[in-house]
Amino acid sequence: MPDAAAARPPGAGALERRDALLGMALIAPTILVLGAVIVYPLLSAIYLSFFSIYTPTLEGHFVGLANYRDLLGSGGFWSALVTTAIWTVGTLTLQILVGVGMALLLHQNILFRSLARGLVLFPYFLSTVVAVLVWRWLFNDLYGILNQMLMNAGIIAAPVNWLGAMPNAMLSIMVVGAWKFFPFVVIAVLARLQTIPESLYEAARIDGAGPVSRFFDVTLPQLRDVLTIVILLRTVWDFKEFDLIYLMTGGGPVNGTRTLPLIVYNQAFGLNQMGMAAAYAVSMMLVMLVFMLAYLRRANARSEADSAA
Amino acid sequence: MNQPERNSLRRHITRRGALRVLAGSGAAAAVALTAGCGSKDERTTLRWWSPQASPDQLKAYKAQIAAFEAANPTIRVVFEATSDEGYPAQFATAFAARQLPNLVTHLPSFAAQQYYAEGLLEPVDDVIKAIGIDRYFAGANEVYRTSDKHYCATGIGNTAADMLWYRKDLLAAAGITAPPATWDELRSAAQKMQRDGIYGAALPYGMNAMTSLIFIGFIHRAGGQVFSPDLQVAIDSQPTYDALAFFQSMREFCPTGASNFSWGESLTAFVSGSTATGIYSGRVLANVAAQNPAIADAIGCTTYPTMSRDIPAWTYNDFPCLLIPKGAPHLAETKAFAASLYQPQLYAQQMHAAPGHVLPVLRAVADDGFYRANPLITRYAAEVDLMTKAATAGHNLGQETAAHKPNLKANEIIASNAIAELVQRVVLNKENPKAAVAATAVRLAELMRA
Repeated sequence: MPDAAAARPPGAGALERRDALLGMALIAPTILVLGAVIVYPLLSAIYLSFFSIYTPTLEGHFVGLANYRDLLGSGGFWSALVTTAIWTVGTLTLQILVGVGMALLLHQNILFRSLARGLVLFPYFLSTVVAVLVWRWLFNDLYGILNQMLMNAGIIAAPVNWLGAMPNAMLSIMVVGAWKFFPFVVIAVLARLQTIPESLYEAARIDGAGPVSRFFDVTLPQLRDVLTIVILLRTVWDFKEFDLIYLMTGGGPVNGTRTLPLIVYNQAFGLNQMGMAAAYAVSMMLVMLVFMLAYLRRANARSEADSAA
Repeated sequence: MNQPERNSLRRHITRRGALRVLAGSGAAAAVALTAGCGSKDERTTLRWWSPQASPDQLKAYKAQIAAFEAANPTIRVVFEATSDEGYPAQFATAFAARQLPNLVTHLPSFAAQQYYAEGLLEPVDDVIKAIGIDRYFAGANEVYRTSDKHYCATGIGNTAADMLWYRKDLLAAAGITAPPATWDELRSAAQKMQRDGIYGAALPYGMNAMTSLIFIGFIHRAGGQVFSPDLQVAIDSQPTYDALAFFQSMREFCPTGASNFSWGESLTAFVSGSTATGIYSGRVLANVAAQNPAIADAIGCTTYPTMSRDIPAWTYNDFPCLLIPKGAPHLAETKAFAASLYQPQLYAQQMHAAPGHVLPVLRAVADDGFYRANPLITRYAAEVDLMTKAATAGHNLGQETAAHKPNLKANEIIASNAIAELVQRVVLNKENPKAAVAATAVRLAELMRA
């Protein structure tokens, strides 16, 4: 068996070293950018969480794990975690149901389909502040069209307190969240629907499958991969949603819609306790890490499956 | 275009050629930008922040800026609007990032006291001296006095933020001849005036700063206090229970959505005619004139009723102030600009931008014919005079009475929503008042210790 090193052409080692250096040079900007926008803030947040820091001056002292001890020992964290979970599951479920339904509709040959496909993205592109202002007016008990319509239809006798009573407030923000973010589901699902081979539906029809069977036996299995990714991404994004909830209810009534991001904001900028805010944020990150690991595992599995194919 | 022409075009537009064109365009753009930078405004820039930024107020500020810039051609002033609910966050980030405005106006006195105590503000003694302390109402700057005998800020105006606004026509229709002076009278009036489409009151029950700030006034109107004069927590007392009971009893006379009311919603409820009474500052005057002139002749105001006639009125004045962050550049220019804002004619114009809402702190301006010639101030002279008097004697959590020490934690207590939460727990959740107040007392003690 010939020696591999001896078989290499002269100068191959230098070429490999140059290639390796070129590779490092090419990837360095990416590493630098990722380091600046992801690794540094992450390490910084973890570092801050071990200090008691006054936000405006960023001065403080080391307290070790005291912030975490106080946080885990307070009922506020656990109650907010439950509220965050309820909000995330509720709004995500609505987003998926409405998003898949709308994608199926827009996949049909309907009148003005192109226009409808464009318009359906509108809520996603709208600024959250503007969307919230509009929805707050819709929900308003004195001038809001929602209460007015329900009263005119004889469904309710007096205005409903949509944002100031539980569970209405939670349900209302779930609906607004679903309205704002379902277009993301539509985009992803619609793209996948367009790649499902028509032959699968034809075969199902020949086998006597009706529309419902075709949906559950052909469409849904084909959507499984994209829905998994959509659910994982939207779970992470909804879990850390701040502006919509803060502007809709401010966390009230009492603490009915007070999610973890609202507590982080209040600790950092209301109470000027940046260290405690960082501890809350790191705790949130650990919870989200579970979702991220699931996402990475899924992505790796897909990658391996694609390679095998 | 036929195939040979397309091939010819491809030969002429090569990737390398396109890259050259792009690089050339980039270089040209960079040269243009550099040239633009060379011709930028060379004047010293002062940044002015305020949460009071209605269109009319912006117009008045522009006039003040223009006058200052005309007298100081090397300086330009840029106005930036902030928000009432959001200023703590904006300030925290500005201080942390050292991106400070030169001048800030219309922040509450307790915010100034807190920032000064943390070493974040310049004393403004020079500014007050330049304006002339004798020109202010007596004692107008006492609320800004600090423990080191300086002034952390100076008043830019006064606000009687919790006046009782009422509809004379609805009172008369209900057979009531005088505005309510006690809680029982107010409750009874609200009950009589409430009918289809009109609620009796517009009290706030939201999880926000307004509910906290307003409810503190009710504790005082029951004869109580949140902190003792030496700043021990004193909220767990009978007057707080009485105030909660009154707030609870008024809930049925407030709109359904009052449990999410903040300043804007509460104001609009009264101005639109949806409530027979309101709780707000003199902003009501301009808004009624602009948005619902049909009720303009029927509105009036008085200090908010107390639990009983022997308890004196307590008016919430946030003491909108002018302060100068420490570390911002151009301190001398900033102080000169700050003093220029009190030039009588322009200062009066600033008050005219929100007539009755921001009330003058300069005695001479309050009595001046030019200030009083404003149509709304003329029309509602009695109300404006009453608000001016009430605001001058007003208080807030930063200094609950003249006997109290300045509370340097007031800003954070309001931002924590601890008092708004107390109101919601008792009124909306129907929790036991004693347990809820006790929990709030513990929370306040924690905030004071933090």
